[in-house]
Amino acid sequence: MNMLEYEIVLKIKIIYGVQGMSSWSMYWTFTKKAFLRSSVYRFEVWSRTGSNIIFLLMWGSIWTALYAGRDEAGGVTFTAMLTYIVVSQFLDGVNEAGTPLWEIQEKVRTGDISLELMRPFDVPLRYLFADFGSVAFYMITALLPLYLVIFYFLDLALPTNWLTWVYFIISACIGFLIRYCVEMTFGLLTFFLVETGGIEDIFYFAMSLLSGSVIPLWFFPSWLETIAVYLPFQAIFFMPISIFIGETTGGEVFTSLGLQLFWLFVCYLVLRMVWNRASHKVVVQGG
Amino acid sequence: MSIIEVNNLQKEFMIAKRETGLVGALKSLVKREFVKKEAVKDISFSIEKGEMVGYIGPNGAGKSTTIKMLTGILVPSAGQVTVNGIVPYENRQENAKSIGVVFGQRTQLWWDLPTIESFELLKAIYRVTDQRYKENMSIFQEILGLDEFINTPVRQLSLGQRMRADIAASLLHDPPILFLDEPTIGLDVVAKEKMRTFIQEINKEKEVTVILTTHDMEDIEKLCQRMVLIDHGQKVYDGDILAVKERFGKMRTLVVDLEDANSSFHIKGGELCKQEGNRYWLRFNRNEVSASDLITQISQTHNIKDLTVEEPDIESIISRIYQEGFIEKQTVKG
Ligand SMILES: Nc1ncnc2c1ncn2[C@@H]1O[C@H](COP(=O)(O)OP(=O)(O)OP(=O)(O)O)[C@@H](O)[C@H]1O
Ligand SMILES: [Mg+2]
Repeated sequence: MNMLEYEIVLKIKIIYGVQGMSSWSMYWTFTKKAFLRSSVYRFEVWSRTGSNIIFLLMWGSIWTALYAGRDEAGGVTFTAMLTYIVVSQFLDGVNEAGTPLWEIQEKVRTGDISLELMRPFDVPLRYLFADFGSVAFYMITALLPLYLVIFYFLDLALPTNWLTWVYFIISACIGFLIRYCVEMTFGLLTFFLVETGGIEDIFYFAMSLLSGSVIPLWFFPSWLETIAVYLPFQAIFFMPISIFIGETTGGEVFTSLGLQLFWLFVCYLVLRMVWNRASHKVVVQGG
Repeated sequence: MSIIEVNNLQKEFMIAKRETGLVGALKSLVKREFVKKEAVKDISFSIEKGEMVGYIGPNGAGKSTTIKMLTGILVPSAGQVTVNGIVPYENRQENAKSIGVVFGQRTQLWWDLPTIESFELLKAIYRVTDQRYKENMSIFQEILGLDEFINTPVRQLSLGQRMRADIAASLLHDPPILFLDEPTIGLDVVAKEKMRTFIQEINKEKEVTVILTTHDMEDIEKLCQRMVLIDHGQKVYDGDILAVKERFGKMRTLVVDLEDANSSFHIKGGELCKQEGNRYWLRFNRNEVSASDLITQISQTHNIKDLTVEEPDIESIISRIYQEGFIEKQTVKG
């Protein structure tokens, strides 16, 4: 490889965040340290679990009331709907254990994130791997035990085919990655804005409504459903849960996973673009 | 080639003008006006391996901006920089491996991790071998006394402890170059002394090249032989500290306590600059007249009770340069 080729390869690696094999052990260290760090904040685990349960109860009762004793509404059984909400709250717990939007914004405002430019690692990737650690800790200590109990005691529509479980897990993981890209992107927009109130509103609106986390897309009025279908947010909650409760079956599963991968690809590219712009702004304008 | 080369370096910031009032706010939505701020105007210097250079100047002179360009987190507007053969902003991550940086104003450790965890993270980030890690940590423990607080989360450290941890962290991967931007800010006398000893030690033992910015001239006096003095983004002096002292230190002050007060006297070669009771301050140029000469003159007409000769320290020299500018700079090399 000549000098010019080498430089081009290097540029591409930096722009797209491509890592050599030997880097993974470094990122893995971030995962381990974040895991440890979470164990320091035990109160946070409790309070987050508390609020997760409260929201589960709230949405559970709302949907129970909406079904009003009927077994089925809009072609979806009550059991499936209840399962939908429970799985959604579980995924919500998983996604919330990552670095929250305000923390990313805080890091941008204080310039902590700019100082990390000085380190030999890719910043968005390093936060992702740290999130893996926090999520793993929260899953092991709170979410998994809690939801095992819930699944055991409630009469829910669990997948009977082990393959469905596999598809669900894959789909949920892709959803997690999409959520990470979207949240990080929104957080990095702080670099370009003086006031970020509007950005936060859009983000939280999209995450709660357009993702289908509390109301499945099939209950949306058709115009809203059309909007939601053409946006990436549904890939975070709606798509994996639909696989779980058996609304998405057979060949549709692969279409669904394919669409998720497409959105992951798009969201990752957008994140890289915003990140490159942001770091460019830091190095040119000093933050 | 020198380990650090800076040629005609410039950095200007475009600052968006904030309009006041509603009309102004609306106007700035449509069209923003910018003001240009030249933080670094035209700076050149080169530093050899193993040198320890004091980079000083008044507030807002452009010191931190220069350091940031050397680390790669700022792109110069014009001019060239190379650090250890690398252009920092073109290859930030590669550059990062050969430099250590301390910004005294803010920590680079992970805020909510115990201090030791930050070190372990850095070990992984810079791929420090177990062997080197152990060796370096034991040196840091010894000179900086890290073990006192190694298990405390960084956010609970005192300023002095945090600074010690920060400088140790910056050296964990044995960088050949160290940038210190106000490493002694806010430290007490003892902590400052420890910090200086440490910097001196690593410079001597490991031949680390050091650029140090500070507002404490004692740091410079104790650590550096060379200083680069900048003001308003321009270099005003580059050279030996002793030469500055020579140049500006030729003025001495003779302080005499006389037995009889209020007598106004004229002494050839001495300028009366202050009087308090029967204590007199006489400024003189040591190249033109000697202290003993002055004393002889005074003692002919007055009885001297006590006397001292004051030599200006670097602190007062620098503060005079800040205030009056570096006049006759052509006559001093640099
Ligand atoms: N990101 C930025 N945007 C706009 N102006 C900036 C920026 N960073 C620095 N400046 C301006 O550039 C000038 C030089 O700043 P710099 O921080 O380099 O000074 P300094 O020599 O480190 O001063 P101090 O001793 O106070 O730390 C100052 O006038 C400062 O206001
Ligand atoms: Mg500064």
